[in-house]
Amino acid sequence: MDLFTPDLGLIFWMFVSFAVLFFILWKFAWPVILKTVDSRADLIDKGVEYAQNAKQQLDEAKKNADQYIADARRQQADMLRDADRIKTQIIEEARSAAQVEAQKVMDAAKVQIEQQQKEAQHQFRNQVSEFALQIAEKVVKNQMADTKAQTKLVDKLLDEMADKN
Amino acid sequence: MLLALVAAPAVSAADAEEGHDGKLDPKEIIFEHLGDGYGWEVPFNHHVRMPLPCIVIGKDGLHIFSSSRIADGKTYVDGKAEFKIAGHDSKYKGKIVEIVDGHEEKPIDISITKNVCAIFITVLIVIAMMFAVARFHRRNGFHAPRKGLGAIESLIVFIYDSVVKETLGDNAKKFAPYLLTVFFFIFTMNLMGLMVVFPGGANLTGNIAVTLVLSIITFLVTNLFATKHYWKEIFWPDVPLWLKFPLPIMPAIEIFGMFTKPAALTVRLFANMMGGHMIVIVLTLLIFIFAAVNPVAGGATTVVSVLFSIFMLLIDVLVSFIQAYVFTMLSTIFISLAQAKEEHHEKKVEAREEKENKAEAAQLAATQK
Repeated sequence: MDLFTPDLGLIFWMFVSFAVLFFILWKFAWPVILKTVDSRADLIDKGVEYAQNAKQQLDEAKKNADQYIADARRQQADMLRDADRIKTQIIEEARSAAQVEAQKVMDAAKVQIEQQQKEAQHQFRNQVSEFALQIAEKVVKNQMADTKAQTKLVDKLLDEMADKN
Repeated sequence: MLLALVAAPAVSAADAEEGHDGKLDPKEIIFEHLGDGYGWEVPFNHHVRMPLPCIVIGKDGLHIFSSSRIADGKTYVDGKAEFKIAGHDSKYKGKIVEIVDGHEEKPIDISITKNVCAIFITVLIVIAMMFAVARFHRRNGFHAPRKGLGAIESLIVFIYDSVVKETLGDNAKKFAPYLLTVFFFIFTMNLMGLMVVFPGGANLTGNIAVTLVLSIITFLVTNLFATKHYWKEIFWPDVPLWLKFPLPIMPAIEIFGMFTKPAALTVRLFANMMGGHMIVIVLTLLIFIFAAVNPVAGGATTVVSVLFSIFMLLIDVLVSFIQAYVFTMLSTIFISLAQAKEEHHEKKVEAREEKENKAEAAQLAATQK
């Protein structure tokens, strides 16, 4: 059963071979490979972290942008409402101002009209009285040819006046 | 390919059958296939062997000669010294012996046998693989290799990250070169052993000398780099005084434990790989055993045996990986146990128990395989 008794020659060569293999790999292969593997793992970790940060920042930025947009919308709405209000106000004001002005003009016109009316009345009265006087003169002139009639008229007029007063 | 794998033992078994005058000796065939030899069979021809150099130190010094000079029972005469391969009835059966005054004496034999040659080939393959990966890294920096190199590199990363770093933590950098070398060496030897013809076919990890050397190296690495605390735990462990004072019961157990670990490593790898090879050979031999009884039975057995052989070889590919992995993992655990530090004693004890549980579980799994 030489399978179970280790052979010296094989042990010797195995030691030598393994030593050579280990030395060569230890000197030339493993440092490079392990360094790359480690640094690649680091790089990947960093990359993942970076990506996560970037995503977080992006999310935040998106949230901010949304907020800005919402703010802007709200402001816009406010402004529109304000503008509407101001518009109505201005119209209202203008209307009332116009009314006041119109009132004023109308009042002035009314006053003027009244005045003119008064004046016209006055004038009319004056004219009427003038006409009346002229008529009266004419009548008196015609009737005053007769003294009696004159006296009678004067009396009558005087009576009338007395009645009136 | 698979057919070739199965066909090769069949061919050689047939040859062996003829060689023994029609009498089939399964034990002989099995051990011939599992054992070492001075010369390597040419693919699919059991009689023609590639000669390999024999190096022996006899009574009068060093002798180097080709193995073809002592093949087929020939005696090689170099000056006064005479060498031949010991016959079946000798106690040095199959080894080179020097004939001194009519009896056989065993010289110091460091011949490049089939197994030694296979070790050299494996070393070259592992170096080529790792240099290819290293060259790729040197040229391409952070880029990960694709295809074949990518497969090798993913294995490296797998062992490095999930075995070495996980268990050793801060010490990972220090021991990773050794552990990775061990893994790839064993893995390559296992796979080469599964290939039936040259340059594979040598039953390396199923040879106790090879696994013994590997576990001795792990033993040396474990104990040479061990911390003070580890030695204190061995010679003056934390147990009641009567367990260690006049009679050093616990230290004796601990020292015994130091040696059982590499012994377990040796036997596990050896037995698993040898078992795999043996099953395939036995399955193939079944054909010839049954064929000798009855040709019809032989024909039926051929189908069954070939199917089972293919199945077993595929399982052996898996076992090749698992055994390399288990050996590396247990080495890592043994090394990490010897890296225990005083300050986190409580924690370390827990971790150690956990590791030992893990080791036991792995051993159990490996045994079940």
